[in-house]
Amino acid sequence: MPLKAIDPDNLPTPKVEEWKFTNLPRAIPANLTRSDDETEQIIHIKRGEIRDNPVEINFTGVDNAYHVDQVNITLEEGAQATVIERHDGSGSYWKNRVTEIQIGKNAHLTHIRIQNDSTDAVNTNLVHMKLEQDSTYDSFNLNVGGKLTRHESHAEIAGRGAEATFNGVNLLNGSQHGDTTILIEHQAPNCQSNQFYRSLLDDKSRCVFQGKVHVHQEAQKTDGYQLSNALLLSPDAEMDTKPELEIYADDVKCSHGATTGQLDEEPLFYLRQRGLSKAQARLLLVQAFVYEAVDKIQSDDIRDEVLTMSNKWLQDALKA
Amino acid sequence: MIKIKDLKASVDTDNGQVEILKGITLDIPEGEVHAIMGPNGSGKSTLSYVLAGQEDYTVTNGSATLDGEDLLDLDPEERAAAGLFLAFQYPVEIPGVNMSTFLKTSINSIRKQRGEKELDALGMLKLIKTKCAELGIDGDMMKRAVNVGFSGGEKKRNEVLQMAMLEPKFCVLDETDSGLDIDALKVVAEGVNALRDPKRSFLIITHYQRLLDYITPDVVHVLANGRIIKTGGPELAHELEEKGYAEFVEEAA
Repeated sequence: MPLKAIDPDNLPTPKVEEWKFTNLPRAIPANLTRSDDETEQIIHIKRGEIRDNPVEINFTGVDNAYHVDQVNITLEEGAQATVIERHDGSGSYWKNRVTEIQIGKNAHLTHIRIQNDSTDAVNTNLVHMKLEQDSTYDSFNLNVGGKLTRHESHAEIAGRGAEATFNGVNLLNGSQHGDTTILIEHQAPNCQSNQFYRSLLDDKSRCVFQGKVHVHQEAQKTDGYQLSNALLLSPDAEMDTKPELEIYADDVKCSHGATTGQLDEEPLFYLRQRGLSKAQARLLLVQAFVYEAVDKIQSDDIRDEVLTMSNKWLQDALKA
Repeated sequence: MIKIKDLKASVDTDNGQVEILKGITLDIPEGEVHAIMGPNGSGKSTLSYVLAGQEDYTVTNGSATLDGEDLLDLDPEERAAAGLFLAFQYPVEIPGVNMSTFLKTSINSIRKQRGEKELDALGMLKLIKTKCAELGIDGDMMKRAVNVGFSGGEKKRNEVLQMAMLEPKFCVLDETDSGLDIDALKVVAEGVNALRDPKRSFLIITHYQRLLDYITPDVVHVLANGRIIKTGGPELAHELEEKGYAEFVEEAA
């Protein structure tokens, strides 16, 4: 079922279970003007077409604007494409986007999202996708900007042998709030889903990771994997994790794990014994922590772009 | 030349401060290999950690100097630059950091601290290649994450490799024999023996005499309950092995 954009006149509050960690009404800037450049972007890749160059969607927020838009991505049978979304902007605004994705039989979509919105911005993003037989959806989300962001993905894995992957990195500081919410509906047998998130939280930032894997009764031989690791760089940072499994089939392999902690002393000491200064050792260890998630990006160019951005953030964060 | 004088150190526990090293005095002249043997809980590993500057331990008394420089005043990385190398009993796994990045960062950090020129990429590659070949280490290891998924033997060989590259003046080997089968032990011992040098001193900490069959020490010390209770030549290790620690410690007390 297609998702609807969040209704500005009827905002979800933390009283709604799915929104318990994220207070949207409190974060929306006051007196926004509805932007008149509302668009519906359509990306349609025809049967068997293989797009070599990524399709780029750039979304720049404008001060005092309420942006609402819709993206439709369709891959017909056997098609292959990469879509890159880049988010930036200046001033205070709210972006409210809905993305509807259809992935046909044996089609493969790579979906990269680089969210570097203004520090006064709110970004709510709802992605719904439906995967047909033997198709794959491979996503990576770099979440750096924004005052409050929520990236919510709903996957319907409807065809046998399909695979959906949700990887990402959250880099938050100041009083940023970053929410990642994932719902995966395993509706067919022999399918796979992967979630791997790494979060680095500094200052008073707050990060939410709630992921639910729902395995329907007919979805035998499901392989579901979910892992969220968070590293707190400050005693005032907060991580809220809610991993959930709901399984009705009796022959499945599902695992989930979540950790929240600070940098281990052991590797720090080991590196310092080998001559690295404390600052160097810390930087190397947090870079490695983030790298393990970024490394899952298949494309060299995109991986390098994400690494450059994240390394810059890490260097700034650890300078203090 | 290493001079350790009346070194006392304690650790914070739930029951307050517990003293582990109760006054250790030890001189290791340049080029000598000294072994410290002792039962579990005698303070062997603590001594190595205290010398390397691990922050869990508090030094309450004494000094430890390397060529006249007091190590205890220095940060762990400064001690490394001064020439102290600790081969860990349990080398730490560092996921996401590959061996070549790690070695490069380590070597250049030390060179920089010693006021030497940092190695460029080519020089580094050459050094890594040469040292790996000398120690019979497969170059593929350089692409793997530090110690992640390494066998016990690989981990210890990796410690010896780093020792060879950092050219320390004083090497502390903390139970290097633990977790090694006899073949791996020989390889590691050969690596250490190759590094023996009139300018380099070693402190080999071990529970068993076995390692000392392959690395012959000049002097053997017996550590029990935070103190050195006996010092002798290599034959002391055999005597210990025959009698066992319990009898030996009683006798000395």
